[in-house]
Amino acid sequence: MSKASVFYDKFERHSHGEGLKGHATHYCPGCGHGLAHKYLAEAIDELGIQDRTVAVSPVGCSVFLYYYFDVGNTQAAHGRAPVVALGHKFANPESVVVSYQGDGDLASIGLAETVATAQLGAPITVIFINNAIYGMTGGQMAPTTLMGQTSSTSPSGRNEYNGQPLKMAELIAGLDGPVYVERVALYDAKQRIKAKKAIHKAMKLQMEGRGYSFIEVLAECPTHLKMNPEDTEKWVKECMEPVYPLGVKKDLTVDPWFKRNAPCFKGEKILSLAGATSEHPERHCKGFPTHLAPNDISLKLAGSGGDGAQTAAMLIARAAISEGFDATHIPSYGPESRGGTSYADVHVAEDEVLNPGSPDPQVLIAFNAPSLAKFGPTVRKGGFVIYDSSVVTDAPVLDPSIRMFPVPFTGIATDLGKAVVKNIVALGALQAATNIFPKDTLLGAIRTALKDKCALIPLNEEAFAWGIKSVEALDK
Amino acid sequence: MALKERPKPYLLPEYCKGCGRCLDACAKDCIHLSDQINPLTGLVPVELDLTNCNACGLCMDACPEPYGLRPAHEGEIQDFELEDPAKLFGVKPSDAPEPVDMPSEVLPLPRTEPLVIKGTYASALGALLAGCRHVYGYPITPSTEGAELMAKFLPKLDGTFIQAVSEVATVNMMYGTAGAGLPTMTFTSSPGFSLMLEGVSYMIGAELPGVFVDVMRGGPGLGNIAPEQSDIKLACHGLGHGNTQAITLAPSTPQEMLDLTMLAFELSFKYRNPVILLGDGYLGQMTGKVQLPETMIKPGIPKWAVYGDAMHRKNVITSIFLTESDLEAHNVHLNAKYEAMQVEARAESFLCDDAEVVLIACNTPARTAKGAVQELRHQGIKAGLFRPITLWPFPVEDLKAAIQGAQRIVVVEASAGQLEDEIRLALSKAGVHQFPEIESVRRMGGVLPQQSEIMTRVLGRKEVLA
Ligand SMILES: Cc1ncc(C[n+]2csc(CCOP(=O)(O)OP(=O)(O)O)c2C)c(N)n1
Ligand code: SF4
Ligand code: SF4
Ligand code: SF4
Ligand SMILES: [Mg+2]
Repeated sequence: MSKASVFYDKFERHSHGEGLKGHATHYCPGCGHGLAHKYLAEAIDELGIQDRTVAVSPVGCSVFLYYYFDVGNTQAAHGRAPVVALGHKFANPESVVVSYQGDGDLASIGLAETVATAQLGAPITVIFINNAIYGMTGGQMAPTTLMGQTSSTSPSGRNEYNGQPLKMAELIAGLDGPVYVERVALYDAKQRIKAKKAIHKAMKLQMEGRGYSFIEVLAECPTHLKMNPEDTEKWVKECMEPVYPLGVKKDLTVDPWFKRNAPCFKGEKILSLAGATSEHPERHCKGFPTHLAPNDISLKLAGSGGDGAQTAAMLIARAAISEGFDATHIPSYGPESRGGTSYADVHVAEDEVLNPGSPDPQVLIAFNAPSLAKFGPTVRKGGFVIYDSSVVTDAPVLDPSIRMFPVPFTGIATDLGKAVVKNIVALGALQAATNIFPKDTLLGAIRTALKDKCALIPLNEEAFAWGIKSVEALDK
Repeated sequence: MALKERPKPYLLPEYCKGCGRCLDACAKDCIHLSDQINPLTGLVPVELDLTNCNACGLCMDACPEPYGLRPAHEGEIQDFELEDPAKLFGVKPSDAPEPVDMPSEVLPLPRTEPLVIKGTYASALGALLAGCRHVYGYPITPSTEGAELMAKFLPKLDGTFIQAVSEVATVNMMYGTAGAGLPTMTFTSSPGFSLMLEGVSYMIGAELPGVFVDVMRGGPGLGNIAPEQSDIKLACHGLGHGNTQAITLAPSTPQEMLDLTMLAFELSFKYRNPVILLGDGYLGQMTGKVQLPETMIKPGIPKWAVYGDAMHRKNVITSIFLTESDLEAHNVHLNAKYEAMQVEARAESFLCDDAEVVLIACNTPARTAKGAVQELRHQGIKAGLFRPITLWPFPVEDLKAAIQGAQRIVVVEASAGQLEDEIRLALSKAGVHQFPEIESVRRMGGVLPQQSEIMTRVLGRKEVLA
């Protein structure tokens, strides 16, 4: 046995290692932090994991843990150490990550992070130094301060208006995430041996990929208890322990499960996830549909959620881009809970869509009466309005230059046996009414969108054809 | 099995704080408080009389000091004579190897047809192609779809997506992964970004890379989920406490959502600093043509990382500098970095060469303004658009060139003047005090300026204020 080599040979970070500080901690005489450090260092040494260990220092008296441990070190913001630890663990699943925290850090400001990380259950080790006080900031009340205990912010003793001491080990043990939770103390030789063993075990469980462990250490802060170290040990035993009973709170036998492959950096894999292909789509357009606009066509599709306005809008945009044009589609919905109104602004431009909004569209496709009433009057002179005549009985009177196309989207789709294809009926109607693109361009976009559901292609083709036919029938 | 002889304790009085915790640990009564103050420490150390010592080791387990009571090594001096600590313990702080950079690799990507995807997806793909496999996030409209796509794709790439308990946890998971030297990012929106700022300050302080895609929405408070350019001030001047700056990119198309996200990762590692990508709700939702790049990145591990292996054991990630002079030096270093970042300023000038009316806008309002420029040109008005692509650093040199012949400057923005403030500050810092009175087209609350409003402003010089 030698001194744990896991401590730096010299504490260069402690006041630049000058004088005695190069080999002494910044802790007050008798502080429990020093002992917990020692047992952690010994565990790391015994398990042979010094190179793999990442220690996350908290904010509190142990903020300078990284002065001492010759391991990878990260210093975290107040209360955030467990999630910083997760960030490390997922970056390198082979690393062994310790989140070392005080009671203010872990049980007050970082409570959400503490509980969420414990419940996530990924193998990290949390060492929780419960000294029933805010040490670093000068002895304020902690969530773990005992009833009646004085502190600088409970000067006449913690009372019911300050709430009750928080029993973290029990709380954490009550969660499903952790595999091992124990509360230990440092006040006598017997307890110290148990504390050492617990810390060792918590590190080992992580090393083996078995899960999350939490060790609560009842620790002495002689400075703020305003007692000598010996009396503090006694105080922990006689006053703290009855409130915070020692012992194993949870100890599951779990097979190693945390095994993660190295991330994949294969370009083809990303491309296939993104649906990108090298296949050139067939082009059918002779040129930009200048009969509608010189270089930028503005459309609006409006209905309610479920009408398929967004899908239809997307198909128009895809069709345009497959022809080498630029296109944009902006969806807008009612409030955060979806299902209400559903509007889409679409632009098709020869080179670049300059302004993607459609406040005054040239083409409106309306799936219901309110949409038609709302947007009909915004349609530009000489524009096109295509609407679902199955549901709109009274079309508003618009500028006479605007061409109206009542097409029973819903009726046709229902006759075809699937109401959801009404948006494809609408696309067919759009094609016939405006000749924005050749039929094959839009059909190509529809087929590509359905390439994983080939069985649906014939139905959609039929819906599209019916949309065209209905418009042609209107012209006769 | 022969029992190895256990060592007896050994103590240099300089490293004893006199706490007395070892006293009652010894059943053999070997340890006593000395009656003299140690002149070096000003503390009263204990004294050992090891006559009755059975080397049980319990006193050593009770001593909180790493170099306090410890086992005597063979041949080690057994008296309390003052020794030079350097000689005793050696001066080498760590025997870990000197870390070296493991560079990232640029891998070729086959050429593909353009995708038709929304801005948040484009940004997510950009992050994947930039080598990011660790994404943390908390749902918030209108940015969530980016996170949703990551949740779908990352498991298939053996990457990590974790829905954090909050934005506070999100940014701190990023802190951990960035500390390990890997690319990491999040998607968020204004209220979530506000909540992340503590962590952003820590990341800047600790010099960690990371990409924040903030799809801005209406504020203040819960505001609404419609697009607003509400966080320009926050990104340019309010990244948490202290001397904090970060390159802030303002895309205006889905294509730029991808391109600038990739750039964000590159810059973030180049400068070891977070990079903010400010989109607006429109841009996040907007579907457009997106051409994938011809290369992608497989990240390496920088030498400063705390990866959790032998090579990086020496390292520490921290933003604490206890000594004033150390923290001042650190800030001087950060300032030098911010100065170096000035070369990253980027802008687009559209028809500004002969422009008499220069519109200034970024994000989606820049597209609306571009439409207005075309319309104004049709009407014979020499209009142009200046579009900052980086909001910090502000591309003031490009701006100076763009407004050279301007008789009017009109700032078009979806905020109460946050962009205008950047323009004024940049011009003022650049010593430009002579420029046309700045006019504005501003909308707030989730309403974007319309082309018609820009036209009215330019043609009629009427106030257009919400
Ligand atoms: C956001 C934030 N709030 C408050 C503080 C001030 N602060 C520093 S340490 C601390 C409490 C530390 O107490 P504890 O976690 O119990 O650690 P101990 O010092 O007792 O080991 C507080 C409130 C801070 N650094 N950051
Ligand atoms: S204040 Fe308390 S917790 Fe902090 S170092 Fe001193 S004794 Fe330890
Ligand atoms: S090793 Fe045991 S017997 Fe010897 S001094 Fe220490 S506690 Fe006492
Ligand atoms: S426990 Fe260590 S520091 Fe405390 S008195 Fe004993 S030797 Fe000194
Ligand atoms: Mg405490």
